[in-house]
Amino acid sequence: MASAPSKLYADDVSLVVVLLDTNPFFWSSSSLSFLQFLSHVLSFLNSILTLNQLNQVVVIATGYNSCDYIFDSSLDLKRSLENGRMPVMCSSLLQKLEEFSFKDEQLSKEEPEGRIKCSLLSGSLSMALCYIQRVFRSGALHPHPRVPIDSCYMGAQNSAFLQQASYITGGVHHKPQNLDGLFQYLMTIFAADLHSRSFLHLPKPVGVDFRASCFCHKNTIDMGYICSVCLSIFCKHHKKCSTCGSVFGQAQSEAASASDKKRKTPET
Amino acid sequence: MPQVKIIAKNFMDMVASLPAIKLDILYHNQFICEAILRSMPPLAKKYVLQMLYIDVPMTFKSLQEWVLADGSSKHQVAIDRLIQLRVLEVIDRKKETTYKLKPTFQTNLRKHLIYGGILSREPMPSNVVARLPTLEELDAYAHEQWECFLLQLISSGQAERSSSFSSSMMRIFQRGLLRQRDKEAPRLTESGFQFLLMDTNAQLWYIIREYISNSEEQGVDQADLIAFLLELSFHTTGEAYNLNTLADDQEAMIKDLADLGLVKLQQGRRERWFIPTKLATNLSVSLTDSSSRKQGFVVVETNFRMYAYSSSKLHCEILRLFSRVEYQLPNLIVGAITKESLYNAFENGITAEQIITFLQQNAHPRVAEKLPSVPENVTDQIRLWETDLNRVEMTPAHFYDEFSSRDIFESASDFARVHGGLLWEDAKKMQMAVKAEIHMLMREHLRGNK
Repeated sequence: MASAPSKLYADDVSLVVVLLDTNPFFWSSSSLSFLQFLSHVLSFLNSILTLNQLNQVVVIATGYNSCDYIFDSSLDLKRSLENGRMPVMCSSLLQKLEEFSFKDEQLSKEEPEGRIKCSLLSGSLSMALCYIQRVFRSGALHPHPRVPIDSCYMGAQNSAFLQQASYITGGVHHKPQNLDGLFQYLMTIFAADLHSRSFLHLPKPVGVDFRASCFCHKNTIDMGYICSVCLSIFCKHHKKCSTCGSVFGQAQSEAASASDKKRKTPET
Repeated sequence: MPQVKIIAKNFMDMVASLPAIKLDILYHNQFICEAILRSMPPLAKKYVLQMLYIDVPMTFKSLQEWVLADGSSKHQVAIDRLIQLRVLEVIDRKKETTYKLKPTFQTNLRKHLIYGGILSREPMPSNVVARLPTLEELDAYAHEQWECFLLQLISSGQAERSSSFSSSMMRIFQRGLLRQRDKEAPRLTESGFQFLLMDTNAQLWYIIREYISNSEEQGVDQADLIAFLLELSFHTTGEAYNLNTLADDQEAMIKDLADLGLVKLQQGRRERWFIPTKLATNLSVSLTDSSSRKQGFVVVETNFRMYAYSSSKLHCEILRLFSRVEYQLPNLIVGAITKESLYNAFENGITAEQIITFLQQNAHPRVAEKLPSVPENVTDQIRLWETDLNRVEMTPAHFYDEFSSRDIFESASDFARVHGGLLWEDAKKMQMAVKAEIHMLMREHLRGNK
């Protein structure tokens, strides 16, 4: 469905955390096979590592039931800094990916049926942001790093969530038209380091859909109910908030008619 | 103050100046393509990657569309650099010029990105190699070698041991950095002072550049040396590589590199090997990189006192350039930044900016986290003391007097003003001072008027 890289800034040096969506339900019906997609992405990752000796790439797989780190270029394999060499990188990444998919599938068997077939993007995003925070805390250079979220979206519909995320964080959202040339899209749009972005002509957001989505069905809604404790959004009335567990009172219409009897001056 | 600056230009300038045929041979090596890619300005790197799979030549206009109006100067710098390195080929057509990536470079970079590069040299297996130094030991060794070399460079008496560089080689390195008058000890020139205050990577590039320029005279091919150095930067720090994998001229070079601290030579029972240090593997990184910075050691206080936690003679020499060293303890150098010491430095051609940059870059970790790492009152005062010496600005000028009539005076002063050369005039006395540059023009103008 999508792969969202997040980036950090220090001159030309970048830390790119790539969130790869490995949802099997999507990939089984996609025009671009997962293998072909991977080959584009691997070359993209290698290009980022080639651009600057200090660049770092981390890959997190976003699965159907779980998320996990499958590659970190800073982890030394042989006490060397140059382990981002392609053959080594490929084999370790692919191996971890295979293990991850297997584990993810196993978890599916324990899950009850009827769940919406979406990937755990929020989980992997949280993992990515925590990782970035940790790196910065040990680096002591920028206390508040700027982390734009770029999203590369593949698939039929549009993702309002990704569009909003990219717009708000100052990243780039793009849906490649021609998936055969995915590598070229990745190189042209997503490989730019943060500093150069202010000079480059990148796709601008056209008509971002800012509507909220309800928490129960993930539909975009204009009017809905909001929990006053945690601000979760629902499209229809619930007895209890599914996020924070606070019990809601009666619905607005019933409550007004009940208090009418108590007040001296009825309110409309 | 004379602004003499030795710009330790990036190694790549040297590469760019190689003849086209040799450069083409260099581009057959994937690692050299990668090293050259890394040395380019960020926009240029982007352009190369964007054009990697485009086989048709692109017009100048379509390239310009990639960048916003703000970035047009950076765009031009990037394009110029690409053309200079002969990565971008210019095809002049009748209507407009088009650009294309150099085919060798393009093919090899493509291969590198898709398949990755494998060094022709493999590290030796650990059972053959005896106890390898740890990374920390290797760093210390590299640091020590380099310092020793620098000390010998600036004052041969001070170094603890002399390197194996021939004295003629040392003289070539010292050319431009030291000046020797008869019967006097060699003194550092302005460039020499600036050289000392540069950071290690920049100094390394300077020395290597001199070394390579000199190698041509010794009969060794420049391109080969450059290729070897660039390849060396892709080796793994701390791994042992057998010496018998080197060609003859490379083997000769290795010994010199060991003296500079780039590699460590070791031998076992039967084999001899070299181990690249961090200095070598950082060669392909650009000059503005921060990872090559060693740990800082200087603390500057707001009362202008300076404490340097170092026992290195080189550091002491450098600090003596611009401060008054008061005490030297086994691990601490105590000094003060005074007006006299700074005036001394300025007279030797060091600028305030260089001193401040040196202090900031070598700030002790305890103070480096704070902003500013060097107190503002100290940096401001250093700059003020520098401008003190620049209170009087001199411009060569000519003084005009005794104009026959007011009209001529006024037309002359207007003429001078139009040409931007009028420095001073006194309308009552009809006198004026005009820049020397337009003196000739003024004379003709005045002659014409009569």
